[in-house]
Amino acid sequence: MSLSARMILVLTCVGLISGGFLAGVGLWTKDKIAFNIQQEIEQAIKTVVPGTAVSEKLHEERAFTVYAGKTEDGTLIGYAVYASGTGFQDTITLMFGTDIELQKLTRLTILKQTETPGLGANIERDDLFLKFWEDRNIQADLTLHKPAASSPTELTSTEINTITGATISSEAVLNIVNLSLEKLKEKIETGQLEGR
Amino acid sequence: MEAKTLSSEYVKGLWDENPVFRQLLGLCPTLAVTNAVINGIAMGLATTFVLLLSSLVVSLIKKVIPNQVRIASYIVIIASFVTVADLFLQAFFYPISKALGPYVPLIVVNCVILGRQEAFSSKNSVGRSMIDALGMSTGFVLALLLLSSVREILGAGTFLGIQVLGSWFKPWIIMLLPAGAFIAFGILLGLALLIEGKTKKRRA
Amino acid sequence: MELLALFISAILINNFVLYYFLGICPFLGVSKKLDSALSMGLAVTFVMTITAVMSWMINTWILIPYNIGYLQTVSFILVIASLVQLVEMFIRKMSPPLYQALGIYLPLITTNCAIMGLALLAARKDYGFFEAVVFGIGSGIGFTLAIVLMAGIREQLDLADVPEPLKGAGIALIVAGIMALAFTGFSGMIKL
Repeated sequence: MSLSARMILVLTCVGLISGGFLAGVGLWTKDKIAFNIQQEIEQAIKTVVPGTAVSEKLHEERAFTVYAGKTEDGTLIGYAVYASGTGFQDTITLMFGTDIELQKLTRLTILKQTETPGLGANIERDDLFLKFWEDRNIQADLTLHKPAASSPTELTSTEINTITGATISSEAVLNIVNLSLEKLKEKIETGQLEGR
Repeated sequence: MEAKTLSSEYVKGLWDENPVFRQLLGLCPTLAVTNAVINGIAMGLATTFVLLLSSLVVSLIKKVIPNQVRIASYIVIIASFVTVADLFLQAFFYPISKALGPYVPLIVVNCVILGRQEAFSSKNSVGRSMIDALGMSTGFVLALLLLSSVREILGAGTFLGIQVLGSWFKPWIIMLLPAGAFIAFGILLGLALLIEGKTKKRRA
Repeated sequence: MELLALFISAILINNFVLYYFLGICPFLGVSKKLDSALSMGLAVTFVMTITAVMSWMINTWILIPYNIGYLQTVSFILVIASLVQLVEMFIRKMSPPLYQALGIYLPLITTNCAIMGLALLAARKDYGFFEAVVFGIGSGIGFTLAIVLMAGIREQLDLADVPEPLKGAGIALIVAGIMALAFTGFSGMIKL
């Protein structure tokens, strides 16, 4: 056999064997991986729209996905919005929930962030940031309360807390939420969301 | 070459030819994922898996592969095992896979792995290659463990998430930042050379 | 506007070397002389831009439609390896002076994790075509900036009195750490 024929033969074999092998492994892990991702989303929906038993994806676009949170018998109890945007360092991915009238924001949870540890990364912490997001009035845009408050009672119902030393991260989260809320309101008013 | 004992093939990876501290290979994952001990260990084990299996396959089929296409074949073999490691982590250790992000598929360009195939597995028997791969992996894991311990303990006061330093300790956040990775590793590298210099003097 | 933000953040905020730790090997290896560092940077920028285009096409037109995402790592690394070879041959034919300047660095780029990292990151971030291209160019310029700054500092460092064990890679890493710290000053510059 000539050298070039052998080269082609060997490379083809290596390629085919590894391709087949990977297809097998891919098939074996596919469901499990999809399940993991699904579970993470569902867990987040249940956190931000308390009482959700089943959820349904209503709308998906880049950096903005809307889920409906429903009870066991299919009654709509709220919307969960999965959104992402630029933070202090890199992309922040979060999810928040609203009631069906779009009067209030029920809860916020951060799904992925790479902000500065000890400062901006505190947007993940309940005691410093997340608990100040519960039951916010969203008929107007939310605003930032500065300087940082120590208890939610110090805030008005349209305010959220700033983290000391991480104003930009706090602001980034606020911007992502305000922007997504606008989109959500528009989609609902123009009847673009099914499942109401 | 054949006169070397098997144990010396293993031990050389731990210190004399340690991939990270002596050969300065595989620095990207070393610096990128060592902000927490658990990430360092996971990365070390994933790399071990890829290195062992690649060395096994390469040393098995080394006679079949024509010299001209050897690098291409090695890359395909390595990339396949990297994908397996990546899919496995995503399927069974999802949080770790999320924390390591793109650095798991990036094992494919870890020079340690291709370097060992080229320098060792393509020239040695299966057994010897496996011992060599095991030694290099152990050296790599130890290096990651050392750097991530320093960074996690100083940066967060914890080890594997457990508080080890008391509340008097104010964490050095810089250690968790990219800057801390460079500085901590630079200092450790200096220390390694210092120790090496001292022991050499003693031997002489 | 968003593309400009992406461009600047790829250069300064999420710098490939100083934030993602990609391309450390050439960053330490080829940063002893200013002019060779600049050539290396240009070669990387060039290959990165082409890689961004190629990997976007493979991902969007082949891997996603046929649902074979598990072949991503294998196909990206093969494309990068053959791409570098092609680029090398092409430059040698078309522009000998450019080949003189970049030639020796091109083979080194195949195992440069920055290139592979670019392909993987662009795929993970779901970038569209133009975003991927801008991300590629920006990341390349960011790499060039880091390696050129480093080379400038290292040329001066040669004259400094550095403790024996830290000479070479040790002090280079510490300098890189200080640079990374300086670059964190750019964080938060880009707002939504």
